[in-house]
Amino acid sequence: MNKEPLLKVENLSVTFFTPRGTVTAVREASFEVSRGEVLGIVGESGCGKSTTAFAVMGYLPTTAETGGSISFEGKDISSLSKEDLRELRGNRIAMVYQDPTTSLNPSMKIGIQVQEVISEHLNLDQTARDEKVVELFESVGLADTDQVGDRYPHELSGGMQQRVMIAMALACDPDLLIMDEPTTGLDVTTEATILDLVASLKERVNAGILYVTHNLGVIARVADRVAVMYAGQTVEQSNVKDLFASPKHPYTSGLLSCVPKPPGAGEVSSRLKRIPGFVYSLEESDVSSCLFAERCPLADSECTTVSPALKFIGQNSEVRCFHSDKVEPDTWGGAEERISRKDVASPTVLTGTGITHEYGKRRKKYMAFGPDIDLPVRALNKIDFEMPQGKTLGIVGESGSGKSTLARAVVGLVKAKDGSLQLNGKELDKTVEKRSNEDKSAIQMVFQNPTASLNPKLKIKNTLIRSFMRFSKLNKQESEERAATLMEEVGLDPSYLERLPSELSGGEQQRVAIAGAFATNPEIIVADEAVSSLDVSVQAQVLSLLEDRQQELGNSYIFITHDLGVVRYVSDDIMVVYAGHIAEYGPSEAVLSSPSHPYTEALLSAVPIPDPSAKPNPLRLEGAVPTMREEFTGCFFASRCPRKLESICDTEAPPIQKIPGNETHVINCHIAIEDLEKIQA
Amino acid sequence: MNASTVREKATAVQMFVVTLAKITGLLKIPLRTNSGRIGLSVLAVYSIVVIFGPWLTPYIPTEYDLDHRFESPSLNHLFGTDHNGRDILSRVIAGARSIVFISVIGTALGIFLGTIIGITSGYLGGWFDQIAMRAMDFLLSFPSLLLALLLITIGLQRTSLDESWLIIAVIGIAFTPNNSRVIRSAALTIKPLEFVQNARLRGEPLYHIVLREILPNIAPVIGVEASLRLSFALLLTASLGFLGLGVQPPTPDWGLMVNESRTHLSQAPWASLAPAFAMGTLVIGVNLFSDGIRQSLQLPEDRGQK
Repeated sequence: MNKEPLLKVENLSVTFFTPRGTVTAVREASFEVSRGEVLGIVGESGCGKSTTAFAVMGYLPTTAETGGSISFEGKDISSLSKEDLRELRGNRIAMVYQDPTTSLNPSMKIGIQVQEVISEHLNLDQTARDEKVVELFESVGLADTDQVGDRYPHELSGGMQQRVMIAMALACDPDLLIMDEPTTGLDVTTEATILDLVASLKERVNAGILYVTHNLGVIARVADRVAVMYAGQTVEQSNVKDLFASPKHPYTSGLLSCVPKPPGAGEVSSRLKRIPGFVYSLEESDVSSCLFAERCPLADSECTTVSPALKFIGQNSEVRCFHSDKVEPDTWGGAEERISRKDVASPTVLTGTGITHEYGKRRKKYMAFGPDIDLPVRALNKIDFEMPQGKTLGIVGESGSGKSTLARAVVGLVKAKDGSLQLNGKELDKTVEKRSNEDKSAIQMVFQNPTASLNPKLKIKNTLIRSFMRFSKLNKQESEERAATLMEEVGLDPSYLERLPSELSGGEQQRVAIAGAFATNPEIIVADEAVSSLDVSVQAQVLSLLEDRQQELGNSYIFITHDLGVVRYVSDDIMVVYAGHIAEYGPSEAVLSSPSHPYTEALLSAVPIPDPSAKPNPLRLEGAVPTMREEFTGCFFASRCPRKLESICDTEAPPIQKIPGNETHVINCHIAIEDLEKIQA
Repeated sequence: MNASTVREKATAVQMFVVTLAKITGLLKIPLRTNSGRIGLSVLAVYSIVVIFGPWLTPYIPTEYDLDHRFESPSLNHLFGTDHNGRDILSRVIAGARSIVFISVIGTALGIFLGTIIGITSGYLGGWFDQIAMRAMDFLLSFPSLLLALLLITIGLQRTSLDESWLIIAVIGIAFTPNNSRVIRSAALTIKPLEFVQNARLRGEPLYHIVLREILPNIAPVIGVEASLRLSFALLLTASLGFLGLGVQPPTPDWGLMVNESRTHLSQAPWASLAPAFAMGTLVIGVNLFSDGIRQSLQLPEDRGQK
């Protein structure tokens, strides 16, 4: 048998020449993929993962210069002619991209798009092609395989679109399948079903899979072997089990310890560990040191003067570090105790009652008569909540479930249709413009996208001092002094005040945005997916910052996220929302352990766990959140509920059930609490 | 001199250098593309003509010389002479000043009004947006030349304004609807961004949001729009001059010159062609300049022009 690996990448380097200077995206990447195995490439953004994947496809722009070698079945790809390369790409190597919505042509039916691939590379007649398409759709688990080909991409959900992309990639039975973050834009519930599909592909097709992702949980779920990349280098390569059990590179160990652990029983007792600093700048070209040295707790003089080479440490494992034998669980500091706030009673700051919001207006066919043609989207439906002082309320749900609308209604950026908000017992106006200065300064918000939260044309200083000048009535100079102290408090150098936002990294920008929110000295900060767009190491830094500020100032957070690991780490209370309704609401540990609402249960089982030995929970949700235009006749979750009872779920709205022994924990479900407990045991 | 005044002087010098660097930096934008380079050089030539015009004319532009009527272009009279024996080159040079002055100020006025109305109505939305935009639609429904004629006739009867200022006002008003629509749509793309929402949460007043948060972020759009409108303003001013509504004779004016020599087209075509040619090159120069900015800032191709 041929012992040559399917794909062998040796010392790959990719340099882009741009008008602004050279960028070395990949420096020394080396790995192999064999038939029938999944190699996961993991690392933070800017570490060259995707560039590596594109280099393997030969898809780099002409401004890029590659070094090293990529050989496919022993043949160097760079020596191939254009024709051969084209042949190779379609027939032998296929790729699935991150964003299925832009990868599919929106004006062509998906069946035709898949057929296009087939007719390009395989010699089949029309009926055989039709059959092949149906067969492909079946193999990727699309329902309704006969008809689904007649639909346009926009008629499919994100998960279905990604399935179509995978079907296209599989069309010519490729030998190598490259998947570049295929589940990153999808909800956890959809992600879980796609990961199931990838895991089953591994067994069905005799191909090598190169799986690129930043998510360690996903890697643990699908990969056989893992290559960790940092600043364009592969720093560690190993069997997935060994890597998670005993990482040999300090970076790997750091990554693993700064991910909030996925939901499990009990309170989170120790704080997250953090990797200080940011990813090594790609514009630097010298490699006469270990690139990780400045962030590494084990670094010594050798690390800053000599660039370490990959060394073999046992079967199939390589690591690029001088001190790999010293890496242990405490490399990044021992466990730091967290102060438990569970039993601390605190007064309520903010109460929301019956918050309801609709987008769009109801329209009749003929002005005031006839049937309704345009129904409003019921984004929020009678949401009640209570916000204790100094605590954190986590709100979770899939995209489209109304989380962000709730956040915007609380801060007053959208005017809620109905319901009331009370701040310390006083009624709050629904729009921010009509609130008093005092009320405005009491509630601030941090947004998901740090780059968009700062005006690109204003210096950091000019954004930050506004709040001081408006709310604390300070003059310009005093405000600048306060801004400088604030910058230090969020861990940034005050010299940053003179910079424009574009001169800062994403993590730094988010710190500035947080500083801006704290500038008004607020009682409540609403964080809408505030850490979702950040890399794990930066995410841990930002979460710690938020935690420190809260302990110091005693403010409350409303923390909106789709990441259940993060929500478990930060929250005292959790609200699970679905389709604008509260599914479950209660203290954090109570919500995340059984008995729970079937929706919470499904969310929990979908979370990829960064532990390769964990057995995936088979409970899955199909489809997506309904559009919420029609009024629900029965339970809001009935259309997707895996635990649905007979008729009652379709005809009656679910009752609010309180959990015996814990009056603050409520579940909106028809199934009796005891029965829920039994089926979830 | 104590230390603080030295420091103050130093910062003043610094500020000056920074401003200078900003201006030269801005000028580099059109220079990145070929069309921008050509456009900018045409504009540079015309700027010299406009600024130093009175010292560049070989003859007095309004002087009659009835012995040399209808003379064809020669070394004495580079562009020839007209029906009154006046030197056409001198008249073209002298006429540049008024048309450029009127168009530039008129465009600036239109851009100013359009920016204020556009950003405010884009940001506020709701009934303000509805009323402002319907008013703009109303103005848009007149062809700009017709609207200009109407406003000038009214203006001449009802006000004591000078004709040049009337034309400036008319250009400003006639171009406001187009400008405000373009700028409004640019403002709409900035409005939902988080930093604008943050400003709302900070309780910023309207003028701050319009001028400090939104305006700097759509400045490129406004720049391109302004240079594009300038060429339309030039054409409108020339058309008004041609129709006799601009500067009155004997002051040289390109539109008027074309009109006056129209009857002698077979005898002395140069008399009409020279101002027309001057007009054409200037407009092409402005258009190339605006294309140059648009290309190097990578803004989308222009929507339906008017």
